[in-house]
This record gives sequence, structure tokens and C-alpha cells, in this order.
Amino acid sequence: MMDRASTQLKGDPAIPSQAAPTPATGRSRAKRTPASLYWTSVASVVGGLLLWELAGRFIVKKALFLTTPTQIVEATIGLVAANELQRHIAASGTEFLIGLVIAIFLGIAIGFAMASNRYAKRALGPWVAALYATPTIAISPLIILWAGIDIWSKVIVVVINAVFPMIINTEAGLRSTDKQLIEAARCFGCSRWQVFTKVSLPSAVPFLFAGMKLAIGRALVAVVVAELFGSRAGLGFLLAQASDAFNMPLLFVSVVLLAVTGMVLTWLVGAVERWLMPWRYTAEQD
Amino acid sequence: MSAKLSVSNLHKSFGDLQVLRDLNFAIDEHEFVAVVGPSGCGKTTLLRTIAGIETSDSGSVMIDGKVVTKPGADRGFVFQQDSLLPWRTIWKNLIFGLEVNGQLNDANLKNAKQLLKLVGLSGFEQFYPNQISGGMRQRVNLARALALNPQVLIMDEPFSALDAQTREMMQLELLRIWQQGRKTVLFITHQIDEAVFLADRIVVLGRRPGWVKTTVPIDLPRPRELAVKRTAKFGAYVDEVWNLIENDVRASISEDAQAPVG
Repeated sequence: MMDRASTQLKGDPAIPSQAAPTPATGRSRAKRTPASLYWTSVASVVGGLLLWELAGRFIVKKALFLTTPTQIVEATIGLVAANELQRHIAASGTEFLIGLVIAIFLGIAIGFAMASNRYAKRALGPWVAALYATPTIAISPLIILWAGIDIWSKVIVVVINAVFPMIINTEAGLRSTDKQLIEAARCFGCSRWQVFTKVSLPSAVPFLFAGMKLAIGRALVAVVVAELFGSRAGLGFLLAQASDAFNMPLLFVSVVLLAVTGMVLTWLVGAVERWLMPWRYTAEQD
Repeated sequence: MSAKLSVSNLHKSFGDLQVLRDLNFAIDEHEFVAVVGPSGCGKTTLLRTIAGIETSDSGSVMIDGKVVTKPGADRGFVFQQDSLLPWRTIWKNLIFGLEVNGQLNDANLKNAKQLLKLVGLSGFEQFYPNQISGGMRQRVNLARALALNPQVLIMDEPFSALDAQTREMMQLELLRIWQQGRKTVLFITHQIDEAVFLADRIVVLGRRPGWVKTTVPIDLPRPRELAVKRTAKFGAYVDEVWNLIENDVRASISEDAQAPVG
């Protein structure tokens, strides 16, 4: 007998249960991370800082060779009280944000041109490939010479460093769109523009985020290095000053701030990613 | 009675390779026609031509006597792979065809809701495709094609990626859904028993170039249950169709074996 009940296997019911299912959103259906895993990170950081502090106080003793976390905190408080740190953060932050936003949009535009037009690909391809691999940061002094010591020279340095991962990832993302999906969309009557906006672009979003994460890292480095070469304010400027004066706690204020910024931004992009692409973060049915 | 879908004298070559040669067949309204053929019978080209995204060298595809020149809402497609957009929920996938054809009105949306119920997926609107099983995804694909209320439903090996048990259930489901409105169906498959089970008529294609060898009417009572698959008459139909394409299948296998790998 091949009646319904006996052939109804594999969780593919001919008549699904009447109770309305609840969709799995976010990680409600994914494995929960146990609390002990979170505490492992906290313990690692706290323990590391403690070891650093102890080593600085009792083993090395000289602040010139090894500054300690408490000294860095003191230096930070001093800088904030003098209204200095705020000024540097504002300068670097402005350069970073303007440069990054320009790089992202320019990168998507150029990547789109390369993915959709053969001639654009041939014309731009060699330049992108060459400049992506070149440490363009090395020409920062030249750009400061051209564009002056104010923020715009730094913005330019940020753009020429951060734009290439965006271009490459956008192009790769648009190209990697599943051919079956494009074919299906065309059968449903999608115009070329509809295929782009409804199929290619959404399917490239994960690549855009990957490009953005790389761009953020490169942009941070670009801001600091450009400021080292010539500036009047910024975390790179602070770094150069501290380094010239052999003021190690001051130097580390910049370094720690940059590290924290990098962490926070990466986390932020990840959060936006999960918010924009819930389908990638829902449990797969097996 | 004039044909709902007619394919007349279709020729197509890609360079030196002739893919379709004088292909002719017609499907009447409310008729369920299956097309079977060995690999190399030009079914992909045939499908793209019917879809209106490929142009033939000569001959024509007509729906209700009107020549097909571009994609349109008069044809609904169900594909072999799962062609749902992974970033859209089931509901958003379901109304994709309506959306791109500018037909998102209340009546159509209400109809879409009904279709979701018809395929047994009410309550799954907010799920993403990766959260439901392969069989369920193909139900959504079917509902998506039907949401446009097409004149002809074109199915391209819709169940080939499913496991054998799910496939049998889906065949049964398809017949159940088809009985409701008896849409005109063109069903392309490699599986002969699937074609015999579903169709009123089987168009058998020959290979390289593709041409219509013969048409086999299937005289089995409807509605059909899976038990019909174990009747002698069913077996006789399967044998008949298999004998028609056996030599072609052998030829295609030996050709594949000789072709350089990669």
C-alpha cells in the first residue's frame, strides 16, 4: 500500500501541519553561544592587561621601554582634560569618514562599470590590478605636496587606498550572480535594469560587505600614515609628536584608540550585515 | 479546436551545430503534455525560445495564435534548479512575477495567498528559502508561476533535484493542483515514468538536432493515484517510450564517454 501516510517521509509533508510555523529570525534557531564562551574573551583581555601591567611595573620598570596600561589611562585622561584628544579624534575621524564614504560609492560605481561593460573592464582592469597590489600609501608625501597639509590630502590618501578592495569585490559580486537566477528572472520578464536591481545587486551584497571590511582596515591605516607624513592634528599627528618626544604612554594612547576603533567598526559592519541579510544568518534546514 | 501553444517548423543552429530541426508540436487548452528526450535533444533551446529570450532561425512559437517575441506573463515557468531568490521571503518570492510585470493589485495578491494555501504552505510567508525543504521550495516555485495566472504553465524538470520519495509525492501534488484549474501544461522531463504518470500526451524528441520523433497519447483514467504506476498498462507505456529513445540515449552516453573530460 502506497497511501499518503506511509510515503510521507523526509519532513516534506503533503499536507503541512495546520499550526502556523514561526519563522526563524536572527539566531533564535541557531545554536546559542554558552555564557562561558563570552567570559573566555573577557578573561583573556583582563588577564593580558594584568600581565602587561605587572611586567611593566616589576620587570622592565622603565616607561620608555614598556609603558603600562595604567600609565596609558592616565595619559588619556590628561589629554581629554586638556581638550586635546577630542581635537585629534575629530580631525582623524573626519578624514576617515569622508574618505571611506567616497571610496565605497566610487568603488561600487567603478565595480559596476567593470562588471557590466566589456570595454570598461578592459580599460580599467590593468589599472585596478596594478594599483590594488601597490602600497599606494607610499605616495602619501607626494599627495600632501599636491593637496596641502589640510584634511583633503588625507581624504585623497584614504580614497586611493580604500577604493580598490571595494572595486574588486563589487565586480566579483556582480559577476558571481547565479546564472540560473538571472535566467529565471528574464523568463519572468525582467528588464536588464530589473535583473540588476532585483537579482545581481542583492546577490552581490555579501561581497560588498567583505569589500567594506577590507576598505575600513585600509582607510584606518591610510589616515594615520598620511598624518604622520604631514598634518596639524589627528591621531597620526599625536603619534608622531609622542614618538619624537619618546613619550611612550602618549604614543600608546593613539595606538590603543586605533585598535579599539578598528574593533568597533568591524563589529558594527557585522551587525549591519546581519540586519540587512537575515537570510544568511538563519538556520539552514537539513 | 485551435492550439493553446503551438511550436511550428522551429529551426535553430549555433554556428555549425544544428540544435533544432523542423520542430513541430501543439498543445490544446487544458492539456497536459510532457516532452521527453535524451540529452542533446535541444530542450534548453526549445525552452528559451518558448520563453522569448532566444530567437529561432525560422519557425515560430505561438500562444493563442499570437507569435511569441519576448517574455510575457502569459507563460509561467517552473525551473529544475531551485530558482527562488535566497534574500526574499517565501511571500516575496511568490509575488516576484507580479512585481516585475507591474501586476501587484489586491485581486492578484489575494489570489497569491490562495495559491500558497493550495500548495500547502500557508503560514510560511516569512520564511526564507533556505529554511524550508527542497520539496517545499518547488511548491513555492509552482505557486510563483501560477500567481501570474498564465495561459500556459511550462515546467522544466521541476522535480529532478528531489529525492525519489519526495518526487513521487510532488507528482501527486502537482496532479491534485492541476485538477483545480486544468491549466495548459508543458512538462519537460528525463524521467519516462514521470511523463507517463502526469501527461495526457508525450512528445518524444530525437537528438542532435532536436526533432519530434513521435507523440504517444496516454490513455490512463484521471484522477490518477500512485497505484496506477504498478499497472500493466502503465508499464507498457513506459516500455513504449523507452524503446523510442533507447538508441538515442545509448548514442549520447557513448558520445559523452568519448568527449574530453572538462
